[in-house]
Amino acid sequence: MKNIVLIFIFFIGFSCTNTTVLPATSSDIMNEINSFKGEKVVILNVWALWCVPCVEEFPMIVELNESNEDLEVIFVSADFEDELQQVKNFLEKQGVSPYSYIKKEKDELFIEGINKSWTGSLPFTVVFSKNKGIIVDSWEGKEPKSRFEVAIDIALNS
Amino acid sequence: MRCLTTLLIFLSFTYGVELKIGSLMPKKELELIDTGGESINLNSVKGSEATLVIFSCNTCPWVIRWEDRYLEIAKNYIPKGVSMVAVNSNVSRFNGDDSLEKMKKHASRMKYNFIYAQDPNAELAYAFGATKTPHIYLFDKNDILVYRGAIDDNARDADKVTEPFLTNALDALLSKKKIKKTTSKALGCSIKL
Repeated sequence: MKNIVLIFIFFIGFSCTNTTVLPATSSDIMNEINSFKGEKVVILNVWALWCVPCVEEFPMIVELNESNEDLEVIFVSADFEDELQQVKNFLEKQGVSPYSYIKKEKDELFIEGINKSWTGSLPFTVVFSKNKGIIVDSWEGKEPKSRFEVAIDIALNS
Repeated sequence: MRCLTTLLIFLSFTYGVELKIGSLMPKKELELIDTGGESINLNSVKGSEATLVIFSCNTCPWVIRWEDRYLEIAKNYIPKGVSMVAVNSNVSRFNGDDSLEKMKKHASRMKYNFIYAQDPNAELAYAFGATKTPHIYLFDKNDILVYRGAIDDNARDADKVTEPFLTNALDALLSKKKIKKTTSKALGCSIKL
């Protein structure tokens, strides 16, 4: 998935500052997360435009990503695919580029494919460790920055 | 590091666990306040054949998309002895969008044909392990949980539903057949505790 994304970015040109929103299945997302194993801590955040707590915590997560070279944040929008333009506009306003994802799978398949303990409540966040790529923490709902930071600290060393 | 790990383990248990299939209905006597301002509890409103509890609210877009099916289910199954209660546990919004007054207006505007009640301290949500809206719990006449999860597999369009999880469970229960799919999942808004 990572390679596909890189090729896609190459063809659209690096000078393009738009955000490309890629429809993805849970399998695509998990492959993307695994591609960072041994390189970076990964935070997966599933969000939606209609989800107020998602939108509230979004800038804080973007800021964490920008301030930490060892961190890769993967945002996945759970909005409907026909809302792709609004999703794209929001991501561009938040400075998420050059690409991000939107769910293209039925809810149950997507939820089970991402994490079997997830009940489906949004936002949903999972933190994967840098070296082993294992889950060090996951939660449903909005959480303060401190929880993210604690999880990132642990994930950097495991 | 040990402290951090302990903290994370603690945090990981700060969320409720969804009530397991086969569990007895918890907090049956817990006081809920319906949109008429009356005090009720699940025991006092249980159905002769089944009791359907839907954690819901006024504003969640997923509730709004599924709401047409709330009405259909109530219309079709309440006459068959199924009691239906929508419970609002969004405590942090009880002074705003989910106030009792706004719940009353919402129920009236949407022509709710079932009970809509506030869970004053979200104790019912905690006891059920409900995390989102809508979140469905179906109990049989002995108050045993027989189905938990989503209404169906298409929030957006009732005409494009391929798996009507809840009505399949209701039909099986009422005809005394085995419920094939006892749990399901769908996205929803987090309950605002």
